[in-house]
Amino acid sequence: MTATLKQLSRLLRDKEISSVQLTRKYIEVIENRDPQINSYVTRCFDEALLAAERADKMIARGEAAPLTGIPFALKDNICTDGIETTCCSKILSGFKPYYDATAYKKLKDICAPLLGKTNMDEFAMGSTSETSCFGAPKNPRDLNRVTGGSSGGSAAAVAAGLAPFALGSDTGGSVRQPAAFCGVVGFKPTYGAVSRYGLIAYGSSLDQIGAIALSVEDAAIVFNAVKGEDERDMTSRKCPDIGELTGDIKGMKVGVVSEFFEGLSPEIKGAVERALKGLESCGATICEYSAPSLKSALPVYYIIACAEASSNLGRYDGIRYGFRAQNYSSVDDMIIKTRTQGFGKEVQKRIMLGTYVLSGGYLDAYYKKACLLRESIKEDFNELFERCDILVAPTAPNTAFPLGYTQNNAVEMYLSDMCTVPVNIAGLPAVSLPCGSDKSGLPIGVQIIGSPFNDSTTLNAAHALELCGVSKCKPEKGGVEL
Amino acid sequence: MSISVDEIKWLAKLSKLDFDDERAAAFSGDFDEIVEFADRINSQIAGDTTKIREVGGSEIAFADLRKDEVKESLPVEKVTSNVVSEGGYFTVRRVVK
Repeated sequence: MTATLKQLSRLLRDKEISSVQLTRKYIEVIENRDPQINSYVTRCFDEALLAAERADKMIARGEAAPLTGIPFALKDNICTDGIETTCCSKILSGFKPYYDATAYKKLKDICAPLLGKTNMDEFAMGSTSETSCFGAPKNPRDLNRVTGGSSGGSAAAVAAGLAPFALGSDTGGSVRQPAAFCGVVGFKPTYGAVSRYGLIAYGSSLDQIGAIALSVEDAAIVFNAVKGEDERDMTSRKCPDIGELTGDIKGMKVGVVSEFFEGLSPEIKGAVERALKGLESCGATICEYSAPSLKSALPVYYIIACAEASSNLGRYDGIRYGFRAQNYSSVDDMIIKTRTQGFGKEVQKRIMLGTYVLSGGYLDAYYKKACLLRESIKEDFNELFERCDILVAPTAPNTAFPLGYTQNNAVEMYLSDMCTVPVNIAGLPAVSLPCGSDKSGLPIGVQIIGSPFNDSTTLNAAHALELCGVSKCKPEKGGVEL
Repeated sequence: MSISVDEIKWLAKLSKLDFDDERAAAFSGDFDEIVEFADRINSQIAGDTTKIREVGGSEIAFADLRKDEVKESLPVEKVTSNVVSEGGYFTVRRVVK
């Protein structure tokens, strides 16, 4: 059986297992199992064992934090001082950051051993993790399917039992959607609740670091460890601790927005409806609403995200980071050749779209309109949260695609983000958790969405689904068992 | 909506990417698809966008900003350790002869 983070913490504190022993167990299963899954792109086992030794000393001194000594995995777009961080892009090959991301530093400071960096879509641009320059990770629930993306490696590592928890990043659903595809819990906190310092930027007004774990309680423990205001990220905010989750939701008003349910397969709709019945059985009231502005959420998201990406990725010039093209005639030629050879096809497409929507003549037609529509989406959510406490929606309109399927179906891949991107546009907290499976046995995810900085209410409602038996989550066989 | 090969090449120039005629022609179909997708917002809203607020602008007050104090910088030798560098500077091919 698999222990929860709370149980692992107790086992470590009671000296029933040492952090070194626990870390070795994970190293062993990663070495045996990951060649089939490809969830890790960089392994840092030596560093992990050193951190585990420090953790054991910290525990012996009685100074342990809840995650001290518990190993974890980190998405490859979160900077780690001296450890390669590539965003799974050729352009950052060999790049070793010279500072730690704040969220990672918080885990490092309490001696949580980092097992390695996880696979992802190049620069987090994608919904399948197939744009990685290291090749796609495979879904542990079915090795012929994608993991989802962009935090596919993190979700796959947790689902396969190759890490008890992982950090990912969520710009348009990149924590929640792979969590749904791999049958684990993915929590995207309120925008600003976790510092973005050291998270390699994609769409800065949308990006948010989140947790992937095997239960809602575990996700809350990880969130508590990494959250908080950071002077290096002016958008970060103080955020209260998530206390004990009781799952008590008596009297809670749960909103169902019809736009989230359009065009769903009967299997996914049925699974989400069962989750709603579960919440009702716990004492919540279900109310139905409509928010027409959500229909514009996908194009709004792609315009804003690509506009910000075209600017953020301007820094990759071959001078300051990783890869530099050979055989150039001038500095300008070097920059152009470096970027053309270093960025993959999807990244180049999004840079081009971002440049297009920001360029003279098109700024008003696209970018400014997208920003205006963003405000109306935010206002619609504000109004909804005046009438209810949480919203419930599917995480994705489909289960995991077969590998390679979206390569010639780009728009279909973008459409698969329809249920997750509104949350990023409005900066809301949301958690995805399993709520059943389709006829092929692939996991289906349900999403609980809360109002800004009500991360606690959001997680508590999700925990209620676990307590009433609607949501169950366990790793595939072959992972670490305790 | 159709984006011409010339427009693709112009965008590539702005993006510091290299698209020759052949690549631009192959890319234009793909790009049309994504621009059409983005164009869906134009069915949602038309006309004046002058009332737009800066994204997030209303949420960050000057009082929230950290004090304008000089703090320790990252060590130069670490920052330049990833790439070709010399004497604390990034090195590129000579520009001025």
